[in-house]
Amino acid sequence: MSFDWVTFGFQLVNVLVLLAILQHFLFRPVAEIIAKRQAETQEALRRAEAAEQDAGAAERAAEEARHQTEAARHDVLTAAQDEAEAQRKAILDAARAEAASLVQKATAQAQATVTGAAAETLTRARDLAEVIARRALSAQPDGAGYAARLAQALTALPDDQRAAILSGANLRLAAPAPLSAADQAVALAALGLENIGFEQDQSLIAGLELRSDTGLVHNSLAHDLDRIAQALTAEAAA
Amino acid sequence: MIQSPLSGDILFSIGPLGIDKAVVTTWVLIGALGFGSWAVTRRLTLRPGKVQAVVELVVTTLDAQIRATIAGEPARFRPLIGTLLLYILTANWSSLIPGVEPPTARLETDAALAVIVFVATIAYGIRAQGLGGYLASFARPSWVMVPLNLVEQVTRNFSLMVRLFGNVMSGVFVIGIVLTLAGLLVPIPLMALDLLTGAVQAYIFAILALVFIGSAVEGEGSRNPPPKQEKDA
Repeated sequence: MSFDWVTFGFQLVNVLVLLAILQHFLFRPVAEIIAKRQAETQEALRRAEAAEQDAGAAERAAEEARHQTEAARHDVLTAAQDEAEAQRKAILDAARAEAASLVQKATAQAQATVTGAAAETLTRARDLAEVIARRALSAQPDGAGYAARLAQALTALPDDQRAAILSGANLRLAAPAPLSAADQAVALAALGLENIGFEQDQSLIAGLELRSDTGLVHNSLAHDLDRIAQALTAEAAA
Repeated sequence: MIQSPLSGDILFSIGPLGIDKAVVTTWVLIGALGFGSWAVTRRLTLRPGKVQAVVELVVTTLDAQIRATIAGEPARFRPLIGTLLLYILTANWSSLIPGVEPPTARLETDAALAVIVFVATIAYGIRAQGLGGYLASFARPSWVMVPLNLVEQVTRNFSLMVRLFGNVMSGVFVIGIVLTLAGLLVPIPLMALDLLTGAVQAYIFAILALVFIGSAVEGEGSRNPPPKQEKDA
């Protein structure tokens, strides 16, 4: 075994030359491109962080704008509600005033109608009373006439009714005022009766009626007025 | 007749200097590595292609290994450690080419590598700690250790040289013997094993060089020394 110092020297130089070549053509360029990429990545990260911060600021601004919009919307809604409430109140007041006016007018109209109706009713009542009085008074005889008319009415009754009245107990003559003895005699003579009683009944107004416990014969102004009123009522209803 | 692996093979001479086959092989490797590096790095882009990505991965891994061993910026040690790793690796794997003997199978080549590591260790140590500080590091942990530390400076580089030489030379020698005895295809498994051995040896040499430099730079030893690599290899 021998050690070749020439080869040793050549190899020593060769390795150093290779070191220089690799440093120049391999390690330095690759390290530089890696460093450049890392720098670019850092720059991209920095830009991304800046963009993130900008986005955060924009988000906060948007949030602030949203809050402002919300507040403005609330204000607008509140104002609209207030305005609507005021309008509603005004409309309600106007409606109430109009209703009160209508009610007042209607009340006045109704009162006028009632007043007019009362006047008309009063007029009709007066006319009716006038008609009734005129009809009743047109048919009323004097004192002796009532006795004659009572006798005719008694004669006009059917026999059984006349017999029932005449045979009834407590047979009497009713007059609105006490009859004098002459009037009593005239009445008994007209009826052909004797020994009957007399009584006073002011509700008859005028006239002379024959009464017993089994019936009566009407012959008075009150009865005539009553019949005339019934007839007028039936006439109005028809 | 098998040629002794310990003997040189002078191809030609330049004046009085005989040019050994290992030197020529190294020149070819230098040319190949230099051309390959130039071809790969002449058009580096920020968006790397496949080849650039592989090269960047190698450099990044190398930096990570340096950073794990020595604190600080790895760029100071990258050229030396990277050159040792790539040269030894390509030199070991050059045995796959028929008729080519790896330069690392020659003691002169390994000795040159060991001397470079030895000198680099001293240079980095003085540069980092100053001459006084570097010399004072030999007295740690006690002045009694000065002779041992001085001897260690030589022996560990010597073991570095002998380890690489022994592993590569023995592989070449065994393959030569098997090739002589069994023909063409039989040595293939051994050649595959030689590939693995060559890669492992390149890694061990580079890492140990890094550890030596790290111990010199940091004074009290490297930060994360690989456990027992020097003795086990």
